[in-house]
Amino acid sequence: MHRVIRDNLEQVLADSPLTGIAIKHHLDKCDECRGQIVQMREHAQMLRALRSTQDIEPRPGFYARVMERIEAEGPASIWHVFSESPFGRRIAVASMALALSIGVYMFTAEQPDATATHQIEIAGGEDQPGIDLTNTGAPDRDAVLVNLVTYRGQ
Amino acid sequence: MDHKNSEEAALVRRVQARDELAFREIVERYQAKVFSIIYGILRNHNDAEDIAQQVFSKIYFSIRNFDFRSSLLTWIYKITVNECYDYLRKKRVRKLVYESDFSDEDALRMEAAEPAIDPAAPMDRQLAQQDLVAKLLDKVSAEDRTLILLKEVEGHSVEELAMMTGLNENTIKVKLFRTRQKLLKAAQRLGRTRPFGK
Repeated sequence: MHRVIRDNLEQVLADSPLTGIAIKHHLDKCDECRGQIVQMREHAQMLRALRSTQDIEPRPGFYARVMERIEAEGPASIWHVFSESPFGRRIAVASMALALSIGVYMFTAEQPDATATHQIEIAGGEDQPGIDLTNTGAPDRDAVLVNLVTYRGQ
Repeated sequence: MDHKNSEEAALVRRVQARDELAFREIVERYQAKVFSIIYGILRNHNDAEDIAQQVFSKIYFSIRNFDFRSSLLTWIYKITVNECYDYLRKKRVRKLVYESDFSDEDALRMEAAEPAIDPAAPMDRQLAQQDLVAKLLDKVSAEDRTLILLKEVEGHSVEELAMMTGLNENTIKVKLFRTRQKLLKAAQRLGRTRPFGK
């Protein structure tokens, strides 16, 4: 749809007498815009059919029945705070994001420790005291001593 | 328009403070409107009562979240329309589940036994049109749906919609244009209209 029609769409659909000559000329020339306007008018007509043709009043005692329903449904649970209010939803999302990042950090932080332990075990098994047992380059004396004691005991 | 300092806003604040008399006033003030909206969409008296109860129950529980950006009527209108479309959606799912319980043979036999819809008969045409409108409106967001219904069904002008929703007139015009475009595209996908410009 072209801009000249788009900007004045509600006026055009309502067939307002205020619709300018430029718009009418455009509609005469442009098949695409004219086609869309016809279809939009059809839709508007269909939507207007949803207008209730009669005034409907509920049966007497409607308020009492509403209150019964409210009592039956009871007060909202604590979890509704997270699902109903936008602030609650933000808190829930932020908590999940925080839990996820902590999880990722724990997982990645534990990887080097496992390698270091593995290295200590290998070093102990090969009986090479004094070699660099940690990633930092400093010898872990306690671990070496424990390995030596265990080796002799066996 | 300032929705925060009206008589209606004072009533809402009383309901937010759990004043039951104020809630009763809201029910009595808007029940006829809610029933008319539901009946307009569903054309069924029996369902209207159940959905209207659900609407007011929802209003009671979520009025604390009402932020006075729109008028109370606009907010109630949106809840009512959403409840109607939730109901129609659930009804469609129930129908699908019910039909899936039949064997292929049974389903074929039932289809053959069903009277064909005669598009020339006024009642059938009305039902088919109602079904199409429900399908089309299901394709747009709740906010867009409320806006187009307030425009076409309730007959509000762009200026009135701007006052009711707290949005500016240009935003309303853009939203209405986009909604109308979405409806056209949805109708094309359902094979109910010809592509643009043809």
